[in-house]
Amino acid sequence: MEIREDRREQGLVVAVGGRIDSNTAGELEKALLAHAAEPRLVVDLGAVEYVSSAGLRVFLMLVKKSKAGGGKLALCALAPGVKQVFDLAGFTPLFTIEPDVAAALARIA
Amino acid sequence: MSETTPRADRLQSLLDVSMALATQLDLDSLLQVILDQARAVMEAERSTLYVYDAPRDVLVSRVSGGSAAGLIEVPLGKGIAGHVGASRELLNIPDAYADPRFNRDVDKREGFRTRSILTVPLLSHDARLMGVIQLLNKRSGAAFDAEDEVLVRAFASHAGVALERAKLVEDALEKQRIEEGLRLAHDIQMGMLPRHFPSSPVLEIDAALAPARSVGGDFYDVLERRTFSDQPPFGKQDGKIWFAIGDVSGKGIGAALFMAITRTMFRAAAGAGAPDPAAVLAQVNNELAKDNERSMFVTVFAGLYDPATGVLEYANGGHNPPYVLRASGALEVLPNAASPALGVMEDLPFSVARLELGPGDALLAYTDGVNEAQNTRGLLYGTDRFEAWLKTALVRPVPELVASLMAEIERFEEGAAPADDITVLAFRRLAS
Repeated sequence: MEIREDRREQGLVVAVGGRIDSNTAGELEKALLAHAAEPRLVVDLGAVEYVSSAGLRVFLMLVKKSKAGGGKLALCALAPGVKQVFDLAGFTPLFTIEPDVAAALARIA
Repeated sequence: MSETTPRADRLQSLLDVSMALATQLDLDSLLQVILDQARAVMEAERSTLYVYDAPRDVLVSRVSGGSAAGLIEVPLGKGIAGHVGASRELLNIPDAYADPRFNRDVDKREGFRTRSILTVPLLSHDARLMGVIQLLNKRSGAAFDAEDEVLVRAFASHAGVALERAKLVEDALEKQRIEEGLRLAHDIQMGMLPRHFPSSPVLEIDAALAPARSVGGDFYDVLERRTFSDQPPFGKQDGKIWFAIGDVSGKGIGAALFMAITRTMFRAAAGAGAPDPAAVLAQVNNELAKDNERSMFVTVFAGLYDPATGVLEYANGGHNPPYVLRASGALEVLPNAASPALGVMEDLPFSVARLELGPGDALLAYTDGVNEAQNTRGLLYGTDRFEAWLKTALVRPVPELVASLMAEIERFEEGAAPADDITVLAFRRLAS
């Protein structure tokens, strides 16, 4: 799994790549929750191949923490297989999801 | 006769020490032996032993000889012990107060005056850091000299390997304790699942759960509904059946506990006269979501089935939609009443849907252990294979259908230990 952070004028963009499963979820949790207090945060999942239920849990923790702190969060560029995992678990309505980084940044501006 | 030199005495004590170390497998006793012997052999006023906690990258003082100080934690690289741990080199400081790395606070706190400090790393047989031993003030009043350095190195090489071995033993025992705990948790978990199901001339129902090697978080439940009134006999069964199948995110003790709580809450909500499955899921969700810091969640498909009419009311909290097996031989995916998985946030909406089973129609619910089963070559069982198999088997009586599906998955796995629990629950409306 790779995690890259890009501080932009409109907000922080964290790009994640690889598989998010029980082996990598801990690392992602640390990396993402460190930014839960960001006023504007975009998580770019364009390079994510797979998300397991352990991975979903990380995004749920993030959206709860972000909301609690009054921050704005958007996920973007979910591959169809990844989107399906969110859909199946019924969690899609809990997130702001956009097709790409530009749209995500615009949405939370 | 030969004259016994102090040096020979000290070598003799070193030999005694290595024998004492070699026979000591219990970690706490070993630490005490190392500490006491180090002080005696090195003729020091005080000795402190730090054990290296690798995951946290800190040195922890397990025992502090002759001192009232409690547990001290030193990050690797900080202070004298931390410096020796990081560099893995012996450090001999003749005058502590002249060394900037020396922290005088401990002396101040304890009314002790540190003069000289000899610090040496304890390494495993393959040179991994196991700990650090620190000796304060040679009793003669002189600083530690070159001979002391040779002696303490020899001492440390024995102590390091003894410590390594004792830690291996402790880890193995700990692992054994955890495995026993997990086995127990698993037995309790399996014992909670109902094995006997309501029977009626118009109903066939069965369920099975094959646990993964580690404790997982699947469950199923089936119970006859009771309705309540303020007239005797107050509560009576009305022939309808509550059922649920669920899968907790993650594995291990946490998942097993979460599963047990979910199942208990399902029973409570269904037993307390909740009007429909959506109300049950909403109630269970609210209970689970309180104080759920870790955002664990559980997918649950729950239903209330009336065997007399074939009417099924159901709600789906993020679970794989079950299949409807028609008497005609057609296989359908149950139209999804998609609601979120349970446990994440309070007050989420759950919707209820209805379906009528005709005579001979059946419903088969499962957890993703079925379609995500893997064989020894890493091949996934998959939805296509699952549906193809179901089409060939869907007319079988329910108990045979459930048993043969479990056997089919086991055959596919070719002996690979299941990575996830595999659970199936099915029932059919029989023609009256």
